[in-house]
Amino acid sequence: MATGVQNQERVPVNLKKQLVLAVRNIQWSYAIFWSISAGQPGVLEWGDGYYNGDIKTRKTVQAVELNADQLGLQRSEQLRELYESLSAADSSPQARRPSAALSPEDLTDTEWYYLVCMSFVFNIGQGLPGRTLSSGQPIWLCNAHYAESKVFSRSLLAKSASIQTVVCFPFSRGVIELGVTDLVSEELSLIQFIKTSFSDGPQTFVSNKSIPVAGRTGYKKDFSCPSLLGCEQQEMASPNDSSDGYEPNQPAEDPFMIEGITDGVSQVQSWQFMDEEFSNCVDHSLNSSDCISQTVVDHGNAVPLSQGEKDNDNELTSLNLPSDDPHYQTVLSALLNSSHQLILGPHFRNSNQESSFVSWKKNGLVKSQKARDETPQKLLKKILFEVPHMHDKGLLESPEDNGARDAAWRLEADEIYGNHVLSERRRREKINELFMILKSLVPSNSKADKVSILDDTIEYLQDLGRRVEDLESCRELTDLEVRTKRKRQDHVERTSDNYDDNKITIRKKSSPNKRKACDIDEVEQEIDYVAFKDDSTNNVTVTVSLNKKDFLIEFSCPWREGILLEIVDALSILNLDCQSVQSSTTEGILSLTIKSKYKGSTVAKPGTVKQALQRVAWKC
Amino acid sequence: MENSTQESHLRSDNSITYESPYPIYAMAFSSTPSVANLNHQRIALGSFIEDYGNRVDVISFDPETLSIKTHPTLSFDHPYPPTKLMFQPNRKSPSSSFSDLLASSGDYLRLWEVRESSIEPLSVLNNSKTSEFCSPLTSFDWNDVEPNRIGTSSIDTTCTIWDIEKGVVETQLIAHDKEVYDIAWGEARVFASVSADGSVRIFDLRDKEHSTIIYESPQPDTPLLRLAWNKQDLRYMATILMDSNKVVILDIRSPSIPVAELERHRASVNAIAWAPQSCRHICSVGDDTQALIWELPTVAGPNGIDPLSMYSAGSEINQLQWSAAQPDWISIAFSSKMQLLKV
Repeated sequence: MATGVQNQERVPVNLKKQLVLAVRNIQWSYAIFWSISAGQPGVLEWGDGYYNGDIKTRKTVQAVELNADQLGLQRSEQLRELYESLSAADSSPQARRPSAALSPEDLTDTEWYYLVCMSFVFNIGQGLPGRTLSSGQPIWLCNAHYAESKVFSRSLLAKSASIQTVVCFPFSRGVIELGVTDLVSEELSLIQFIKTSFSDGPQTFVSNKSIPVAGRTGYKKDFSCPSLLGCEQQEMASPNDSSDGYEPNQPAEDPFMIEGITDGVSQVQSWQFMDEEFSNCVDHSLNSSDCISQTVVDHGNAVPLSQGEKDNDNELTSLNLPSDDPHYQTVLSALLNSSHQLILGPHFRNSNQESSFVSWKKNGLVKSQKARDETPQKLLKKILFEVPHMHDKGLLESPEDNGARDAAWRLEADEIYGNHVLSERRRREKINELFMILKSLVPSNSKADKVSILDDTIEYLQDLGRRVEDLESCRELTDLEVRTKRKRQDHVERTSDNYDDNKITIRKKSSPNKRKACDIDEVEQEIDYVAFKDDSTNNVTVTVSLNKKDFLIEFSCPWREGILLEIVDALSILNLDCQSVQSSTTEGILSLTIKSKYKGSTVAKPGTVKQALQRVAWKC
Repeated sequence: MENSTQESHLRSDNSITYESPYPIYAMAFSSTPSVANLNHQRIALGSFIEDYGNRVDVISFDPETLSIKTHPTLSFDHPYPPTKLMFQPNRKSPSSSFSDLLASSGDYLRLWEVRESSIEPLSVLNNSKTSEFCSPLTSFDWNDVEPNRIGTSSIDTTCTIWDIEKGVVETQLIAHDKEVYDIAWGEARVFASVSADGSVRIFDLRDKEHSTIIYESPQPDTPLLRLAWNKQDLRYMATILMDSNKVVILDIRSPSIPVAELERHRASVNAIAWAPQSCRHICSVGDDTQALIWELPTVAGPNGIDPLSMYSAGSEINQLQWSAAQPDWISIAFSSKMQLLKV
């Protein structure tokens, strides 16, 4: 990098180019950089300059066709040469005067003024440049040609040269002076512009007073022009006007760009994403990037241009910059003009033997890259996404602890909330409150964080649901008991079926011995009464009663085709012979009353019969 | 691993490793040297324990002898992991006693005074009206031009600017549409922030109504996780996206177009830091265990920009600090180690 390293003898190369561009941009007559003399401290002497004013004639035949820009440079060089030859002649008259391309009679008055300036030196505090340097403030001199020689020592010269305005401002390690043959009234923004142009590159200054010429139409957005200080957006001078020299000028311009008027990094811009930037620049900064846009056009890159339009439409609208434009300009100017001078520290050494770092090799390094199954940026994401929410959780846990832990006093702040911030906060508070209420309703012995509260609530609800079901089925059975109590000696076996758990709890009222009716030939008749109740929604009920060998089955279930046959089949499998069947179907529900006799040796248990009938009923 | 003078640190020729008892995330370099020994550099390390009790330790580092010293008394508790730690930049402490100001962000912004042998809590900067609910902070930045100004970023989409001397809020702006993840000062009154909504915005305190988006992530709503503003050259900023191995370099004069995308990490990038002494060097670290130093060139090659140099650590590197107080040293943190590397 180190482009800013100043040569003791001369000003840096890019300063010259900056001078050139600066004076060209504003179309003044000359620019001079007065630098603090190396030889005599405290004295300003000629550093470098560029002449941009009128010239009499092109004396020599040009071997090479020069464009205006190179012409200007050449002219300035020639003027310098001439000066040197003249001063050499002065100092050593006997020496042969070195030939210069120009001789004094070829010069216009303004050129002569420029040349004579080269001979001037100023003490600090003396003369226009001297006073500028000592005060540190820019000086704008109008009517320079009429100024007193105390103020402006070259006023007589200026008069002959018809230089009417001279401006000096401190810059870098010296003073920059600009002069023009017109009378230009004081405009500090121009000085600002020049200063920014030194750090930013080619631009066009459009003063408030100039009349804009319509440039490219249709692109109203412009957001990368710090040059437009104090200007409104759309007005911009036509690129053509200010860049007469630019159009044929590419070869000369490109070196300007590349060699770095600005610092190196900005050049990345111009190279890295050339196409995008060109098209964008065309859209965005018509006057500030004349060079770029011109080169785009001249390279015949019309395609990116039009593409850029479409591409950027979305961008433009999404970025919403137009409304920010003047605001952003002020922001940029604040940033770039702030007192930060680029701190050119020691050149970055990386060839340092002691470094922990090794030179980067494309294929070098990590031998085995094991596939990372884990989330990328895991810790970073936790810090950003999870840790802030840990605080929310923590507040539920130990609000009193928080108070105690903050040893220092809490500071109340001014209340500047956006509406949605406030309502978001209220919502969060409400949610936390409700969680606390929920916690109080639910018996739980675990921590009071939101997750645990919800877990406990779910468990509690499920538990309650089970209990409710149990109680409900109990109640129904009790009803049935009451209804079906026929004989004292009846033993009732009740079966309740809990569907949730598929558990069958059998509560017997009768003694188990009485199950097999065939074994007992007693007067007491027992009725093994199996009540099977399903959800009322299923409409399946089976009641099986056994009287010795006779089964009375009362059965209802949703009707379907062939179900009757299946039922009879199921019964015959169990060795039950159907003696009589009464059936009716109402509303899709089949009701059966079957009397069957057992024809085998061992009687099936009522439960078995029930199950068989269940199976039939559930078959679908 | 807390011996006072004899450190069980690993030392190779040009790097020093400090093994912490717990995983580390937040890290900060002090800008002022210790009074006792001018060469000693203080470093604050914040733990990352996914629980309530976290700690911040301050250790000191001597670049001459390449040694690290722990100070058991220079330590304090922090509720949940601190999301960022930072010492006051350019601090002018009273010559009689050494004291440094350390700020930490978590649920609130807290200020601590780091003295020779103790750390005193100074204040808790809490902006919420009710004492219970706060908006936790994801990051903050201390303005180096205005030493009393700190800007914080929060998950409630706002950025708050504090005057820490008076202990009041200068202003609070709704910066983004989603959570704000990082904030960086440019100059005294200009800052930028990045957010889950994928945009980098610049704010000027003189004109609070307006902000400028200077970059939006190409896939809409890809969060931008970190931001670094080049303090040597205010035109440039760097940012990283979620799940991306790219470091995006932006020029504030050209909104929406990155100046460069540095794409040589083999896994996602976790942290970035501009060089304090040079305006076009930047360092980045990532999940590929690499720390890469890049030099932004004047002319980029057709294949993109290659790094200047690299370093491989033992595991994914989560944190990076390149302090102006020690421009020759870069510190990185991975798992529970902090390593100082000579540049």
